[in-house]
Order: sequence, then C-alpha cells, then structure tokens
Amino acid sequence: MAVSLQKLCLLNNFNRITNIYVSTRYGHHLRGKPPGVARTLQDRFDELNKTNPEIDFKVDIGYPPLRQSRSELLKQRIQTTKANRNSPELEKLARTRKLNIDLDDVHKEWLRTEGPHHIKVLADHYGVYQHLFGDAFFLPRVPLKITYDYLPVYYGNTIAPSEAKNKPMVSYESDHKSLWTLILTNPDGHLTKQNSEYVHWFIGNIPGNDLEKGETIIEYLQPFPPKGTGYHRFIFVLYKQDKKIDFTPLKKEGKRLNLEDRTFSTLDFYRDRQDFITPAGLGFFQSNWEKSLTEFYHNVLNMKEPIFEYDFPPPYIRPQEWFPLRKPFNTYMDKYRDPKQINKEFLLKKLKNVHPFKAPPPPLKYPNAHYINGYVPSWLKLEIRKERMKWGRINEIE
Amino acid sequence: MLKSTNLFKHEYYNIKLLRRNVSNNDAISPILTNRNPRNLEKLRIGYKPDGYHLENTGRSFWHKLKLTISGRYISASIQHFENGKVIRASSNEWALRKQLYSSTDYSAYTNLARVLAQRCLQMGIIEVRSDIEPTNPDGKIAAFLKTLVENGVTLTEPPQFKAPRPWDLTREEKPWEVSTQ
Repeated sequence: MAVSLQKLCLLNNFNRITNIYVSTRYGHHLRGKPPGVARTLQDRFDELNKTNPEIDFKVDIGYPPLRQSRSELLKQRIQTTKANRNSPELEKLARTRKLNIDLDDVHKEWLRTEGPHHIKVLADHYGVYQHLFGDAFFLPRVPLKITYDYLPVYYGNTIAPSEAKNKPMVSYESDHKSLWTLILTNPDGHLTKQNSEYVHWFIGNIPGNDLEKGETIIEYLQPFPPKGTGYHRFIFVLYKQDKKIDFTPLKKEGKRLNLEDRTFSTLDFYRDRQDFITPAGLGFFQSNWEKSLTEFYHNVLNMKEPIFEYDFPPPYIRPQEWFPLRKPFNTYMDKYRDPKQINKEFLLKKLKNVHPFKAPPPPLKYPNAHYINGYVPSWLKLEIRKERMKWGRINEIE
Repeated sequence: MLKSTNLFKHEYYNIKLLRRNVSNNDAISPILTNRNPRNLEKLRIGYKPDGYHLENTGRSFWHKLKLTISGRYISASIQHFENGKVIRASSNEWALRKQLYSSTDYSAYTNLARVLAQRCLQMGIIEVRSDIEPTNPDGKIAAFLKTLVENGVTLTEPPQFKAPRPWDLTREEKPWEVSTQ
C-alpha cells in the first residue's frame, strides 16, 4: 500500500512538472551564424579546392612567341580599321545586315594571334597537358592541319572510329632542314595499366613537313574505344627536334597488334629526350565506340570484345534499426537484403510461367482490371499490382 | 566523388570465335579508368552543380553561354562551372575586327555568333546552357542567339542522368545506349 501511494505521489509530481510551459526558441541556434558572418557554399568550396602556388604551378616547355615589332603591328592594324571605316561597300553590307565575314580567314588569323592561348585553355579543360606532361604545358605555336579523308581534326571534335580507319593527312609550316616527330596517343583507354597511354602512331625524324620521308617507328592503328567507356581523347603532338634522334629502342617491325607493345608514356618519352625535342604543335579529337569495332576486335586485334559499364556509386541506405517504426515491413526489409537474391527470386518467379516450346502469353492489356482471387492481404495485392505494371524492382530483370 | 573518378566495370561477353593465332590481348583488367574529364559530361552522368535552390536560377550547368557587351566591342564566351571561360570570341579580336565595319553593330553580333559557333564545333562543345533572354525579338541579341543556333550550337543542355535506385518506380533510358545505336 505504502509503495503504491509513493508511486502515486511521484506520478503527480511528474505531471505537475510537465505541465509547466517553458518557452525555448531553438531556431536561432539551429539556423547557424547570420548571413555575412557565416561562410557561403562558394567560400567552402574555395577553401576545399585551395591550391598552393609554391607547389601547384606549371612549367612552360614550349617555344616562346615570335618577336614582332608592336608599334609596326599597331600601325598596320590602325590602317586596316581606318580603311574599313572608310569603305562604302563594307558600310553598305554592314548596314543592310548582309556582311558575312570569311570564317576560314578568321581561323587562320586567330591561329596567328590569340589562337595558341585559347587552345591552351581548352586543352587544359580537356586535361591534355595534365595527362600527357604532368606539371608542364606548352603553347601550340605551330598550327597543325590534320585531315581524315574529309574530316578535319581540331581541338576536341568527335570523329567516329570508322572514319579514322586510315592514317590522316598532316601538314604544317616548316623549312626543309628542320626535323620533326609526330605522335598520336590515347591516354584514356589502356586495357591493363591505369594512367598509361596507347600509342597509335609514331613518326620520327620527319624532314620538313613531308611525313612520307619520316621514319615510321610505330604503324598507325585506328581508334578502338571499348563499348561503354565513352569518349576517348586521341592527341597528336608535334615535336621539333634539334638533331637527328635514334629511335631504335622504341622501334619494332610489323603492325604491333599486340596491345602491350603499344604501351607508352609521353612524360617518360619527353623526359628522356627533353634536351633535343620541344613540343610545338597540338591537335586532338574524341572518339566513342561504334558497331563496326566488334569486327575490328575479333579480326584485327584477335580478342574478345570487351564491354564495360559505368560503375555508379551505390545509393545511400541508412543503417538498419532494430525497431523501425512506421515503416512497411516488406519494402524496409528488402533494402537490407542482397539485391542479387531479390532479383533471383523475381527471375525464378518469371521463369515458372515460361514454357520452353510455347510462345509467351501476350501481355495483359488492362493489367489492373484482372481480379485477384481469394483473400490476399493488401501489401501482397500491391506487390502483385506492381509486378503487373512493371513497377519497382521487377525492372532489374526485365 | 563522382566527378573525378571515371570507372567502368568490365562485364561478361562471350563469342565463339575461331582464333587464327594467339594474342595476349585478352588478358585485360576488370576496371578501366577513362581519364577524359569531359567524358562523363558528354555521357550526361557527370556532376552538375546542384543545391542553389534558394538563389536565382542559372547555376546548374556544365557549359553556359555568356555575352558581355561593352561600349566599344562585344565578347562571347562559353563558361564551364569549374574551369571558367573555356571558349572565347570577341569583336575586339584582330581576326574579327580586321573584317568588320563596326565592332558593335548588328553585323558584329551575327558574325561573332558565327565565329563562336565555329569554335564550339571545332572544340567539341555543342550543347550549352543559355540564360540570355533578348528584350527585343528583332534586336541584335536575338540575332546573335539565332545565328548561333543556325550554325549548329544547341542552346539547352540535357539534364544530368542519375542512376536509378533499385526501389525506384521506373528506369530512365540510359543515354549512352541511345547514342551508340
């Protein structure tokens, strides 16, 4: 009796305390610091991606610009603009909105003036220097003109592998005496070694711009990006040589269809010869898998065709609870089961109704109009409906 | 993070094939890393900035068109959300100014669009986001945008493809499978 009385008293006390309303405003603390004091998302990103200029700087390994008299250049330019301003034909075209400037001429002039700088920015955007030369870069001072049959290679345009079957025509401005090296590599598609390149074409000791007279160190091989790996970069780099270089350690006769023989590292290649070669020209294109490559893999490379699929990060699933409140037991538990097992169950269920010799029954026209016989709990009814409508996990096996 | 790694898992593939000679090419690693930083964006699975729901729209893009108009000349550029201006053209550039009558008139706008479109095609960036809304439908800016479209640049970007979770109702078509067909 005494014990129960005491309990009653305690309960009474407890009730009294809970009935008191204490006003607490947590909002101020939950919202964090006021704007202006608190850092923005951009500030946080900047802090994360901070670089140290003493370590993260790039070295220029290319040629310096040609020296040109600035005053003379300016004089010429002012003359041209003045002539344009005073030209009645040009004015008429401009005022009647019919002035269409010559794009080829713009491209040529651009390559002579701002082009190399723009190309450098873009090549950085494509990670070209980072993946070929590490912490070095160069400005492409010698414009490269590369054409596959009729398709030109610029700075990142897409060309299908079937369009690049034969070696391209390459031309650049040069005198007859100088020697050049041209290398085409793919830094994205090495099948065995990560962070390595395949060399697709290598011509050394080219006198002037006559590629035919150069020494073919490695024969041309068309692009072969495997299925599912997306777009690969194929990068042409033109080096200028100071003297004739002996490339015999790299040379191997034949077509080099064993891909291991085509493993290449531009950085190592450059590092060993940096005293006599300087990168001067750049051009690259992107290429993706296409159907014609299956035949190429089977007949030319003599291998099974590799097929890849992007490995998405798995979805976040919160840790399982002992007593999950207000959670549907079936879908909740499914999240913590092996997905392969779930798919297997769906497949086995499907195969139960598959006859090896008869045609499959036609799909239901109005799937949800069919009556579900007997007593079926509502959760199971939902599962049946989802199966009929092909909703949810059943899609993994369909 | 998704944006830096670019992993592709090797899957099964069997074809009965009569081998003429043995090659070592078949021994390949199960994981291939495509280091091309633009690849995932082209396949629509790369990271696109997200999370600025309370701010003005216009932050969620891979590449975006920007037009800067000054009193003397006009400049257009394609901006990347991480790398900033990656393609640029301006009527102040000598290559353009050499052939123009004025660097701010109607012809300057249309010709700048032609040059920018040409560079975009040469540099493999064809789809860009554009938030520029011309006030005058017959004006210079409208003409600039129209010329860009006529010369092969698409002024909208596809949405980012997000991997379907197993419990999702439906499965979105995989963009890279559509493009390779």
